[in-house]
Amino acid sequence: MGERPLKIRILEIFKDGQPRWNYEIVDMIFKEYGMTGNYDRDLINFDLIELASGGMLSDLEQKVDAKGVYKKDFLLHKYVITDFGKEKADGACAN
Amino acid sequence: MVENVVSLDEIRSKERSRKIKYGYMWALFCAVFWGIWYLPGTAIWVLNPFDEMSVAIAATHGDSMSLVIVAVLITALNALTCVIALLFWNAVLGKHKLKELKRTILDFKKCSKWFFLAGICGMAAVFGSYLAMGFIGAAFSAVAGLLYPVIGSIVARLWYREKISRRAAAGIIVIVAGGISIYAGGLVTELATGSVQWFGYLGGLMAAVSWGLEGAVAGKGLDLAEPDSALTIRFIAEAGYWWIIVIPILSLLGFPMIHYALQAFDPLVILVLMFAGITFGFCYVTWYKSFPLIGVGRGQGIGNLYGLCAVIFVFLFFGTSPGWAIIIGGILCVAGSFLMFTESTDGMSSLRGD
Repeated sequence: MGERPLKIRILEIFKDGQPRWNYEIVDMIFKEYGMTGNYDRDLINFDLIELASGGMLSDLEQKVDAKGVYKKDFLLHKYVITDFGKEKADGACAN
Repeated sequence: MVENVVSLDEIRSKERSRKIKYGYMWALFCAVFWGIWYLPGTAIWVLNPFDEMSVAIAATHGDSMSLVIVAVLITALNALTCVIALLFWNAVLGKHKLKELKRTILDFKKCSKWFFLAGICGMAAVFGSYLAMGFIGAAFSAVAGLLYPVIGSIVARLWYREKISRRAAAGIIVIVAGGISIYAGGLVTELATGSVQWFGYLGGLMAAVSWGLEGAVAGKGLDLAEPDSALTIRFIAEAGYWWIIVIPILSLLGFPMIHYALQAFDPLVILVLMFAGITFGFCYVTWYKSFPLIGVGRGQGIGNLYGLCAVIFVFLFFGTSPGWAIIIGGILCVAGSFLMFTESTDGMSSLRGD
């Protein structure tokens, strides 16, 4: 079961520099934190939005969720960590 | 293929507008809750035990000191009811939020310093507002805080490079001009009569500077925390400062803080205090929610409409009619906010410079 605050954990996942889609992160967090359902999915996605608007993640690519893997006819986002995000992830707050 | 590209662009722009729309909506809710807060904030002064307390302390320490001490007790109780309202809010949002609150408190030892710092700024801001309410009046107290976006925007710009577009900056300047108009109007009238309530004006200044700093400091901590958890911690910190440090010190100095605090357990007083806690707690919830979506500067700018909301609510509920300076200032506030509100959303997908 996940022990760290969600935004810190999400940044940790991105620390390896690999880009990831938002639905991949939602799946990972669901498993780690025992979360489930559309409401929890949106909460996790809002954390991603906050991290991106805070400049810690960069919104690399978007595609329409035609199949409904995440939320049908909404945008899927692919994020990658920024230098500022790495700095934050390595900083005192995240360790 | 072409059709796909268009539709992707359309959805992308729709999503961006949705983000901006929600950001401004949260900020607008903040303005309404914040404005309403001045109603219980004003009513509480005439209720017992605060009225009695004020008379009792005035007899030994003078009128000004008595208002300052009563403002301390009211602010401390305000912080407590905010904690209750926010814990309830987290519970309503679901078990994830309660767990996240626990995780944030436990894991965030090094970083929660930002929320404890925000708690100090918030403490000064709320206390300043109550001072301004007690010495001068609710409408003044509300509009006196209107300068806070200047501090907030400048600090956010210098400290963590937040972008402020020219239009947003112009909006902030117009809002501030409105605030100054209302501030100066009251001061000029008082200077003419020769009795200036300096403690009240100092309180107004404290509110503006402290709220501006609080937004910027909190923004730093919010980078890595969810706002619902973060602001609950910020209010727990504020309540802690009042009840663990300030109230015991004042009690040791001989002020009957605990005596009157215990007398606040009266249904009507609790109702008014809870109303203050709910409106103030929720104005923070909505304020913090707007920051990641539209940025600290814009969030604070739109939240600034609280000054106008407060003047209107005070007029509707207490019948205190605003003077010309307040009307002009109010119009400037609305104009400035709309300058920001109608801003093109292009280039706002990332609010922070790389």
